[in-house]
Amino acid sequence: MSKDSQMRAAINQKLIEMGERDRLKELLRAKLVECGWKDQLKAHCKDVIREKGLEHITVEDLVAEITPKGRALVPDSVKKELLQRIKTFLAQHSTL
Amino acid sequence: MKMDEISMSSLDNSKLEGVAQDILSDLVEDACLGLCFEVHRAVKQGYFFLEDTDQETMRDFEIVDQPGVDVFGQVYNQWKNKECVCPNCSRSIAASRFAPHLEKCLGMGRNSSRIANRRIVTGNNTNNKSESDQEDNDDVNDNDWSYGAEKKGMMGPRRRMDNQESPRMLMKDEAFPQ
Repeated sequence: MSKDSQMRAAINQKLIEMGERDRLKELLRAKLVECGWKDQLKAHCKDVIREKGLEHITVEDLVAEITPKGRALVPDSVKKELLQRIKTFLAQHSTL
Repeated sequence: MKMDEISMSSLDNSKLEGVAQDILSDLVEDACLGLCFEVHRAVKQGYFFLEDTDQETMRDFEIVDQPGVDVFGQVYNQWKNKECVCPNCSRSIAASRFAPHLEKCLGMGRNSSRIANRRIVTGNNTNNKSESDQEDNDDVNDNDWSYGAEKKGMMGPRRRMDNQESPRMLMKDEAFPQ
């Protein structure tokens, strides 16, 4: 493992151990609902399901159709806020 | 690998930004997957297109707001004034008193066994005095073996395990043979 990936792994571990990752996850989820991202994506799901057929839809279908669109639809303001929080965490929990 | 061993000074801002972006990317992916699973479950359980039901059917399920009736339209105090006929004693009992009455009438349930046990004990006491001979009378008056007076204390915790054949009851006749 390169030093870089070692460092990333350690950061991730710390994020999880301190419960910060769960908090960030909840924050992101709340923000995405608030800004209508979830509703937008759900509407897109409906189209996909109607197209593929209610009986035949699989998780893989949904993941393949939804994930790229979901990533693209996240508003910049939400991204900014999350990034800010992450960077704050990184700054607080590593020695400089 | 401890966090405090990693010096962030070795990371410049762009690297920091890169790490933060990756973390964000993971979180967004989690959110998308979460939605996929939620939707998939809704589809398989049949409630995904629920809000798209036609107006006609929707009206069937509207909240009911009438007196004497609950939100589903069912009458909820229907059973208050009804009377039931007990299958055991054929008496007509009020619905709210029916369950306790059945308990006593059929001789089942916690209370009725308590009452029955108490009756046995007091029954034994009075029986002893009139029927048994001198020897047994002595036993009853013996502090160790008296049943009637002690029933609250002795009978309480042990009562559940006792039955008619319990050693204590059987030994009553054998104790202190004179």
